[in-house]
Amino acid sequence: MRDVYVAGIGITTFTRLEFALSEIASYASMMALKDAGVSEVDDVYVANMGAPRVNHQTALASAVVDSLSLTPAGAAAIENGPASGGSAIKAGFQAVASGMSDVVLVAGVERMREVNNLEATDFVATLTHPIAEYIYGVTLPAHAAMFTRLYMEKYGVTERHLAMVGVKNQNAALNNEWAHLQQEITLEGILDSPEAMTNNPYVAEPLRFFDACPVSDGGAAVILVSKEKALELGRPLIRLSGIGQATDTHAVHERVEPTDLLAVRKAAADAFEMAGLTPEDVDVAELHDAFTILEIAESEEVGFFPKGEGHLALERGETALGGKIPINVGGGLKGRGHPVGATGVAQAWEIVTQLRGDGGARQVEDAKVGFTCNFGGFGNNVVCLTFVREG
Amino acid sequence: MNREIYAYKCKRCGTMHYPFRMVCKECKQNDFFEFDTVPLPKNGKLLTYTKVYNLPAQYEVATLGLGIVELENGMRMLGQIEIDNPKMGMPVKGNVEVVRQEDYDDFYGMVFRDA
Repeated sequence: MRDVYVAGIGITTFTRLEFALSEIASYASMMALKDAGVSEVDDVYVANMGAPRVNHQTALASAVVDSLSLTPAGAAAIENGPASGGSAIKAGFQAVASGMSDVVLVAGVERMREVNNLEATDFVATLTHPIAEYIYGVTLPAHAAMFTRLYMEKYGVTERHLAMVGVKNQNAALNNEWAHLQQEITLEGILDSPEAMTNNPYVAEPLRFFDACPVSDGGAAVILVSKEKALELGRPLIRLSGIGQATDTHAVHERVEPTDLLAVRKAAADAFEMAGLTPEDVDVAELHDAFTILEIAESEEVGFFPKGEGHLALERGETALGGKIPINVGGGLKGRGHPVGATGVAQAWEIVTQLRGDGGARQVEDAKVGFTCNFGGFGNNVVCLTFVREG
Repeated sequence: MNREIYAYKCKRCGTMHYPFRMVCKECKQNDFFEFDTVPLPKNGKLLTYTKVYNLPAQYEVATLGLGIVELENGMRMLGQIEIDNPKMGMPVKGNVEVVRQEDYDDFYGMVFRDA
């Protein structure tokens, strides 16, 4: 297997975007191509979850490859729910590592604001089990809420811990010009003041408005290349050194221990094993905080903290910028936004930005090893990646 | 009419599944559709629950109660709950009713109430 490097990265602002879906993907891709200094690629993978349903467009990769005038390169869209981005990066890695391709463009894109919030919620809910979950009106916030209640009961996580994650990540987004949310929040405003219940109403009890990521449009892209090509291009050598992907039961109720996220545990362990790293080696991490509880739970499952102690590490400030393991310093899904298909690629974008030392006000000092966890379904399809700066 | 929701019992090893799956998760040896159907128990205890405020487009109600219930035989299922003050661990009793309506289709599922 050949080593694979990230030679270029690009992103759009995550917000409501009044551009065609393929243009959003192409904008981020163009930025990544220019960053890498390449104008031809062997293959294009486009991560997207909702184009056929939300944007009435199929075969998205064919549109993107042509818009970028990259034809006759190979092109395919990859739909894998919220883990589409990580899955597309895995496909790009395999193409380069196998020797079949030398240069691969991986773009992630979603345009969910084309429909109203109720339709967007329903669209994401279609990833749940059709018979045992979807027909009941289950939404992703509902799954996260039921999971949160179990976590609170078992480990002593409180609404204050959840709000602390929300404040940390949304305020971190203030240091990220591409992030969706650009509004500072405080624990006082969303939890403690008499107005808190108005500012921060329940979405799915016990989760509130500020526990959930916003519905965003946006795109992100990375260029994956062989070592030979990476040396030729002369960009900072960032190696995609580990990939783990794991699945779990489709229906959440079938999991033996409902507070475990076994797919996260396995995907992270596999990524670390492949890279020859341990969780202690990680300098900066992007976890999939679609809901605040997920950052806490994932920080345990990937091995940063013992099970049931993620909220204690949060209390000690270990997950903030300057802490032992800074998590979601660019805002995470909570602050940056969550255009579903783009998220896994946007996580890689943030990590490469950090490993290049280009993080500006949110830079983790001397970051050499980065980690991402892209959480699909409600934890039933998870992709974890490790990135290492060489030289 | 007394409606049921069925579990699927592997004819080879007896393992029960809900919802249906093509291959038994325990023995992984069954042939095509080699399962017996067994009605799920309707009584159980509430494992976890939520009250949802932003619902998918088809729901014309303000809030919706949802929960995961551990049934008498140890299996679990998700259902709607119509309980004023739900508590984790409380006994509940299920009934199969319409849980979603779309144009001309009715979808039946389990609705749990205070036992």
